[in-house]
Amino acid sequence: MTVKSRSILAAGAIATTAVLGLVGCSGGSGADDSGDTTKLTVWVDAERVDALKGVAASYKEKTGITVDLVSKANADIKDDFTQQAPTGKGPDIVMGAHDWLGELVSNGIVAPIELADKQDEFLEVAYEAATYEGQQYLLPYGVENIALLRNADLVPNPVATYDQMIAAGTFVVESDGQGLANPYHLYPFQTSFGAPVFGSDDEGYDTSDLQIGSDGGYAFADWLATQGKNGTGVIDTELTGDIAKEQFTSGAAAFWLTGPWNVGAAMEAGINVAVDVIPTPGPEAAQPFAGVKGFLLNEQSKNKVAANDFLVNYLGTVEVQNALFDSGNVLPALTESAEYASSDPIVAGFRAVGAEAVPMPASPAMGAVWEFWGQAEGAILNGDDPTTTWEKLVADIQAALDK
Amino acid sequence: MSAVTTRSGATVPTKRTFSFGRWFHATGWRHLVGLVLIVFSLFPLLYVLSASLNPVGSLTGSNALFSNIGFGAYERLFNDPSQPFGAWFINTMVIAFVTAVLTVFMGALAAYSFSRMRFAGRRFGLMTIVLVQMFPQLLAVVAIFLLMNTISDWFPAIGINTHIGVIMVYLGGALGVNTYLMYGFFNTVPKDIDEAAKIDGASHARIFFTIILRLVAPILAVVGLLSFITTTNEFVVASIVLIDPEKQTLAVGLYKLISNPNYADWGAFSAGAIIAALPVTILFLFLQKYIVGGLTAGAVK
Amino acid sequence: MTPTNTDPEVVVSPRQKKAARLAEAASGGLKIILLKIVLLGIVDAIAVYALFVLVLKDEWLVAAIVAVVTLVVNWIYFSHRAIPAKYLTPGLIFLLIFQVFVIAYTGYIGFTNYGTGHNSDKDQAVQALMSSARERVPDSVTYRVTVVESLEGLGLLVTDPDGEVSVGTATSPLTEVDNAEIDSNVAVSVPGYTSLSFQDVLQRQGEVFDLEVPVSDDPNDGVLRTGDGSSANIYLSSLIYDEQADTMTDAETGVVYSDSGTGAFTSESGEELLPGWRITVGFDNFARAFGEESIRGPLINVTIWTIMFALLSVASTFLLGMFLAIVFNDKRMKGRKFYRIIMILPYAFPAFLSALVWAGMLNERFGFVNEVLFGGADIPWLTDPVLAKISILVVNLWLGFPYMFLVATGALQSISDDVVEAATVDGAKPWQVFRLIKLPLVLVTMAPILISSFAFNFNNFNLIYMLTGGGPRDTSAGINVGATDILISMVYKVAFTGQFRDYGLASAFTIIIFILVAVIAVVSFRKTKMLEDLN
Repeated sequence: MTVKSRSILAAGAIATTAVLGLVGCSGGSGADDSGDTTKLTVWVDAERVDALKGVAASYKEKTGITVDLVSKANADIKDDFTQQAPTGKGPDIVMGAHDWLGELVSNGIVAPIELADKQDEFLEVAYEAATYEGQQYLLPYGVENIALLRNADLVPNPVATYDQMIAAGTFVVESDGQGLANPYHLYPFQTSFGAPVFGSDDEGYDTSDLQIGSDGGYAFADWLATQGKNGTGVIDTELTGDIAKEQFTSGAAAFWLTGPWNVGAAMEAGINVAVDVIPTPGPEAAQPFAGVKGFLLNEQSKNKVAANDFLVNYLGTVEVQNALFDSGNVLPALTESAEYASSDPIVAGFRAVGAEAVPMPASPAMGAVWEFWGQAEGAILNGDDPTTTWEKLVADIQAALDK
Repeated sequence: MSAVTTRSGATVPTKRTFSFGRWFHATGWRHLVGLVLIVFSLFPLLYVLSASLNPVGSLTGSNALFSNIGFGAYERLFNDPSQPFGAWFINTMVIAFVTAVLTVFMGALAAYSFSRMRFAGRRFGLMTIVLVQMFPQLLAVVAIFLLMNTISDWFPAIGINTHIGVIMVYLGGALGVNTYLMYGFFNTVPKDIDEAAKIDGASHARIFFTIILRLVAPILAVVGLLSFITTTNEFVVASIVLIDPEKQTLAVGLYKLISNPNYADWGAFSAGAIIAALPVTILFLFLQKYIVGGLTAGAVK
Repeated sequence: MTPTNTDPEVVVSPRQKKAARLAEAASGGLKIILLKIVLLGIVDAIAVYALFVLVLKDEWLVAAIVAVVTLVVNWIYFSHRAIPAKYLTPGLIFLLIFQVFVIAYTGYIGFTNYGTGHNSDKDQAVQALMSSARERVPDSVTYRVTVVESLEGLGLLVTDPDGEVSVGTATSPLTEVDNAEIDSNVAVSVPGYTSLSFQDVLQRQGEVFDLEVPVSDDPNDGVLRTGDGSSANIYLSSLIYDEQADTMTDAETGVVYSDSGTGAFTSESGEELLPGWRITVGFDNFARAFGEESIRGPLINVTIWTIMFALLSVASTFLLGMFLAIVFNDKRMKGRKFYRIIMILPYAFPAFLSALVWAGMLNERFGFVNEVLFGGADIPWLTDPVLAKISILVVNLWLGFPYMFLVATGALQSISDDVVEAATVDGAKPWQVFRLIKLPLVLVTMAPILISSFAFNFNNFNLIYMLTGGGPRDTSAGINVGATDILISMVYKVAFTGQFRDYGLASAFTIIIFILVAVIAVVSFRKTKMLEDLN
């Protein structure tokens, strides 16, 4: 019976190999080094990693705590954090925008941060944005809002009103294409008619008070119709961000309603950029949305003391916010650093517009608004009746809110 | 095409002179089809090339292709320490190559048994492996993260943030529609080849490794290439499993350049995509002779 | 049997045959067996190591599974039966872990309330609620503290802004002390307590972070907590958690929220405290999937378009790919390599990049197609419902034909030249050769590819999302749904609108879509079985 003996032989050989292999494996498995050093894992937008590298290094020098920066795609960072935080495998700190707070707090994955009496040191809009339902969750580090870029070689002086502007030169503002407007960029025009999305009380936004359907909202809708296909054609749903960028950087457009993120591209293209206040078509001040970027603390973090120390006692200090500005060029959230940054005329220009800016609502209810908003504005621009379209918009949002 | 060289290169004067009509009928029209296809295929990619050379860095803002030429995007790509493009490239090649080879190997093993053996559950099995791949992957990330996370707790060497981990997830698809494709091709290899070899006393393993694999080389090459391309462009799994920038793949790394619309660097992204498409092209060049080499003539002796 | 002196080629005795076979097996076989032993040895070594780790981690169930699988694998490769299993096992193991498990888990999510507000387990929800409910007493000052330790446990040595120093622990409220050592206006140590350095604090972060020192005997005065180990504030909690009764009580209004099995603390009036936690909810999600008013309206149209889109995509890519494979399979043609390379390129580029480029090219007012090819026309490629559908199909053809071309080129190789030659000799025209010989043979090989390509396009979320976003929007529908939306993109919009992500609902839809695709596929397979039997 050759088969049998061969099997036994083989089994012996296998056992030997297995044992040898096991010895090899066990040699390779190093002991878990629970060193004395605390390590903070921080998820950061890919485009912000460079700005934070120096900050992380100097913090380690100061405290011995290693800050491990993980670069994440901006589009995925929130969802990945939401999925991974409950497993205990998430980062200690995550970079995020203030308008995520509604969702993250509902999921119970961010812990409050105590700014205590430091809160007055921040710009008011930044501090407001960092607060959700009376608690602070965000250590603000940068404030962004849109303003009007002007090609100073084409139009040497600022313009006062919207009509003067479109008479003085070509004006571009980005839309989403495929028949959709971009409500974020059109919001300053909407607010100039006195129609914010929600009313506010001293706690912040009151999502039960939908202001979009006020008289001002309809006035805005009527005005929008005059700027679309059947009017001046200045606001075009097919003019996407890429095209707007091309128009301004090539010198074809004299005005561009956009954020600080596009200033670099315009300057590199050799445009003489000036930043102006947004000229208003309506009777009231134009209030763009402010987006506040900052850092959030994971509720499941095992290093909350270190994380708090890093956030509040380090990232919240003037030196660090100044350093972040020097490497990242975003208007700092700390008032003193914002002053320091305002020596740059571009930053100062955006800040001047930002003085009127309002934080984007962070409530989950905002999702219902975004869902219908751009579609309705696009339809009006492309020739639908402004009153009925706006009525439907208000009804759709209300229905979604009441769900 | 003004002259016809005879294949033998013989000096025997041919009676038939070159006739455009005949040439067109035989191969000329094929070139015409080819030309149309080149325009159709390349046109959108010219945009990508133009964007990679455009200093402004917009993707589709301008219809004036190649109006400004500059290599700034390529420099940005290679000189930014926070985007280790070289590492991404190597990681992608390693992961895609290993995945492709193992996918072909495991798939071929399975296809052989489906094609040459009869066993209970064969039909059902064939159908199942294809059906499994039809599952909409929209939500798979949740389960994949959980699974890899658990594996990480036990065996960090093959869990989150390891190349082996990513490859393992990809190999989950080794038995899939590609196996079925190979199975179809295996079926076209005449059974009497196996029978002849069996009579000569060859074992099933021997038949598979020495005879069958050679005969089905074209489909192995095709499946290998498909797997390589799919892996190179795969994004979701790679972004969930690989965390450190030095470990990431091209798809994940490049995506980060444009994931934030306000700071999207389309120039660098396009440059990266062009470079990423090169290995696929080279691999195709290399595999082409296997794919269209035809069957090994005279296999049936 | 006596040996005969006849020609050995004519008669070979069975015994000789057997001997020859044995010799054959022995020579080649020994190497193979050695290889087999080494490979299995490696597998078993890994398995033993894995068992070792799992047992150490008390993962008995997984360890048992690993042990059983290892034994089965060994049996498979040693037995002389189970030959098919020898070939199937490697791929099957990966398939089960990384595909079947993923499907099963997604299926399980479909029976839970997983989503925004129900993202983790109850303990974490309680923790998060309590931590958000801790409110700093308004206008209270910040104290500088040093973390100290006594026999009672950790405590805080507190210096208030006036320079008064007190100390307290979790069990004994703050009491003033006057013998503390002061360093730059902050008390750093006091007799009877050991001071912790920042590094010590870091080693015990959890304890320090959770430490609450009562300000006085009256709980309404609040507790002192430190977030960073150096400064502390007075907090009062707006929620009181009663572990015994498993209820949350609002400290201000007195409303009691209890766990009523809905996955969140709920008051009498039905008000929920978020975050809640994940629970299984049976068929609720499926009931919602079928009952969701806003979905039911557009559902018919979307389903029809989904099937049409998938069918037309498969048909167009297959026909073009097949046609090109035949065109460039002619050996007489020069430059075939070059053409083939060009044709692979659309497939080699990341699909979503290509989709974005196409979206730009098809832009109604600024796109290349209208501006340059059509001389400034305003053709609404992506904003007219019909044209948008056509655009989607054209772009998908561009994305998909290289794949079909590759596969068809491979499949053509399985047709032996003899068959074609024989037909040509019999006077068949090229078209007849193609229709009657090549096409059926290639179809047999490619049928599964076509079916799975159908399934892929059925769920081709990325293309739709990148190119049109599902638009142009149907403004009459109550949800965001458009003319080019397919089922999967509509589900995505419904389950993930705005800031509410409903994984449970999305998973339920996913399962429904999967069943739909699977039924279509199985029916198609039954049809192609006939093809196969012809072969």
